[in-house]
Amino acid sequence: MTNSRESPGKVEIAFTVNGELKKIHAYPMERLLDVLRLDLGLTGAKEGCGEGECGSCSVLMDGALVNSCLVPVLQAAGTSLVTIEGLGAGSELHILQETFLEYGGAQCGICTPGMILAAFQLLSEKPAPTMAEIREGLSGNLCRCTGYSQILEAVGEPARRRANA
Amino acid sequence: MRSNPHDYEMVAPNSLQATVSLLASEPGVWLPIAGGTDVMVQYAAGNLPARKLVSIWNLPELRRIETSADEIRIGAGSTYTDLRKNEIVAREFPLLATAARWTGGIANQNRGTIGGNIVNASPAADSLPALLAYEAELILVSIRGERRLPYVNFHTGYKKTLLRPDELIQTVCLPRRFSQYISHARKVGARSAQAISKVCIAALGRPTDGRVEDVRIALGSIAPVPLRLRQTEQAVIGRSIDSALLLLARKTAMAEVRPIDDIRSTARYRATVAGNLVVEFLGLLASDRNAVEHRQSNDVLGRWNLLPADEAATAILSCCGSKGWTRGMVARRPLADEDALLAASEETWRSLAPSDWMEAFHSHPRIGISRAPEPPSPQSPSTQSVAWSAQEQSNVGDANDAVKIALADANREYEQRFNRIFIVCATGKSASEILEILQRRLENDAETELREAAEQQRQITEIRLKKWLRR
Repeated sequence: MTNSRESPGKVEIAFTVNGELKKIHAYPMERLLDVLRLDLGLTGAKEGCGEGECGSCSVLMDGALVNSCLVPVLQAAGTSLVTIEGLGAGSELHILQETFLEYGGAQCGICTPGMILAAFQLLSEKPAPTMAEIREGLSGNLCRCTGYSQILEAVGEPARRRANA
Repeated sequence: MRSNPHDYEMVAPNSLQATVSLLASEPGVWLPIAGGTDVMVQYAAGNLPARKLVSIWNLPELRRIETSADEIRIGAGSTYTDLRKNEIVAREFPLLATAARWTGGIANQNRGTIGGNIVNASPAADSLPALLAYEAELILVSIRGERRLPYVNFHTGYKKTLLRPDELIQTVCLPRRFSQYISHARKVGARSAQAISKVCIAALGRPTDGRVEDVRIALGSIAPVPLRLRQTEQAVIGRSIDSALLLLARKTAMAEVRPIDDIRSTARYRATVAGNLVVEFLGLLASDRNAVEHRQSNDVLGRWNLLPADEAATAILSCCGSKGWTRGMVARRPLADEDALLAASEETWRSLAPSDWMEAFHSHPRIGISRAPEPPSPQSPSTQSVAWSAQEQSNVGDANDAVKIALADANREYEQRFNRIFIVCATGKSASEILEILQRRLENDAETELREAAEQQRQITEIRLKKWLRR
């Protein structure tokens, strides 16, 4: 972290996003959400409520789900971030992206990136979650279209596929 | 209006020492920010007065949990997720583990910290009553050194604490001596997830031989600060757990809390719920095997007062087949005597919606028939209810055939007209008396008849409650 010459008050902050090292110049109190969307063009994370209630800005920071609207970017320095853009491998979809497609887990799409990342964190800790665990894992993510049933089914599907394989 | 990041300074020292030095250099100027779940919300709303922030997120000195033989020391920077994942917390401090699970969604549990929750000092914070119940102590740190103080004294008023401008909370210490206590945590809010509590309780107790040997009761959202109910504790310690004690505990708790009206609830509702939660907790102590002798007493009402809610509801369903009524009755426990029981029944019955009344009506057999029609709910009438119906209608069986046929016809007419069975308090009435009443009520308009049927059901319930007490 050094003072940037370009703009007083801005600092240089480095982190990796979806596996790539990024260096940006930003005010330390800029929201991680804004830096991702405006500086890095990663518009998958959405702004819903802007106060940590809706989960549509969810990203993974060092493997932990966070609301990027509540993260001052300085606190992301040195971390490894994963956004929805980095979840699949190249053009290949992540299994949760596939199951969300299959079950109609996305309607307007605003909550979808956050939902999938919340589901991703859940499955990385509990690969075969119960319905109660799925509900709890997604409890911080709101769907304004109220398409919850399809979302819950989509999150349960990877474990079912494994069981039937 | 949103804040402009240009107006804020923020630094992230890499050690606790550097952080407290900075705080000491300009006391009260630098606002510590950990996971940002409170500070960033204020910032987003343009309500953050501080312009200089010091990040304490992930400071290693603050984010660790250590245990010794007699206490657990939780770094103030530990997140709710850290608490949930800690085995000692899960095993020995269920009140804290539960509160951590209640707090926000997963993303906020990954960022929100126990120290932040304490300093933010919201009277509605779910984890703070747990800390009171466990008799937590805090270690505060500044460049001047450390000081250790009981958490119960930390909050001095609404959003006011003993923290000095150059201090940080470093550690939350919980003694391990309560691990054998029975614990009770419950949050009453609009929803179970992501809702700020209207009232929450964290309580610990140890019953012995039907008595309260020791107890800790703390509540949230019922005073300007998270509150330990010392008067209520004193009122129950050493006493045997019976209906009188539950009544006393409720009264003491309701007088001890200092709730306010706000957007989430009213003071009156909060005080009532606070009383109920304390009663529920004592009922839980009573159901412990150490209190078992009391449950074998002959006092029907006394035993019922102490039953778990679902069992208590089932136990009185035979008196009135409406689940709304049973819920209301269970919530009004403890009931001191028969008068209180009947008064509670009447009050509950009058507060119900017509749909609840219908459910009760449909649990009865048609007059002249020994069992109920197709039950409207999965809950078919209990054996007890069927037996009581037979008793209540015993005079009808003695009637002559002409009256019986007329009664059957009138019943059918009534059912066609009002779309439900005819309800009358049949106890002591002959078939021809009932027929006369039925024919008169066929003249009623729908509204009048609904009220009359409800009044009859109220009388039936009253008679049944009296029988139930004397079983």
